[in-house]
Amino acid sequence: MVHLVFLGKFGDVAPDALARPALPGDVRTLADLKDWIAGQSPPLGRMLAATPLRLAVNQALVQDLSQPIAAGDEIAFLPPMSGG
Amino acid sequence: MGLDIRVQDRAFDPHGECAAFVRGRADAGALASFVGYCRDETAGRAVTGLTIQQYEGFTQAEIARLAGEVAARFGVGELLVIHRVGEIAPGEAIVLVAALSVHRAAAFDAVRVLMDYLKTDAPLWKKESGPDGTRWIEPRAEDHKRRAAAETVA
Repeated sequence: MVHLVFLGKFGDVAPDALARPALPGDVRTLADLKDWIAGQSPPLGRMLAATPLRLAVNQALVQDLSQPIAAGDEIAFLPPMSGG
Repeated sequence: MGLDIRVQDRAFDPHGECAAFVRGRADAGALASFVGYCRDETAGRAVTGLTIQQYEGFTQAEIARLAGEVAARFGVGELLVIHRVGEIAPGEAIVLVAALSVHRAAAFDAVRVLMDYLKTDAPLWKKESGPDGTRWIEPRAEDHKRRAAAETVA
């Protein structure tokens, strides 16, 4: 079981059920996960595809979407940041 | 090197915080600070408030990482960052960045560069409310330009 966190505008469109999703066995990497999410929620999928996206796994930024997903991971989808 | 990084939902008094920051620090010859406030209009649209979302834990850690980079780069002994999250009304302070150092140049540079970093790299998401509803704010082209230029400040 993984935990997904959708920040900012992603949170407005992400269905609640995606927070703790039951992932099929063939979703192995972050890229697979992104594709799977687009199938579950086309509006969110379109937004993820159209937005410069950063991902954090267990609260560390990740560049490489080929990274495998491990049980218990907290995976956060971060839209462009706007501090200050 | 001392970093004091606070991400909080309660309002704060930036000038009182600066006074407390410098109190008893006779070794510091310079305090530079920047305060960002919530405005009541942007690009001709009325703004009735801001809501800033954080990613609990990560936001504070990332701001501390950025502040640590800036402190080391400019040789600044102490940095203070206070950033509001939650509901913010026009006229309230959103962010305070302050630096204490021996001389002014390092303090000025550290504050400006850290603010430029926060605009594009602090994990915070800002939603603006107005008479026509709400909208998420994303960094402007100018913010990215300043972020890139911040790398070259001597």
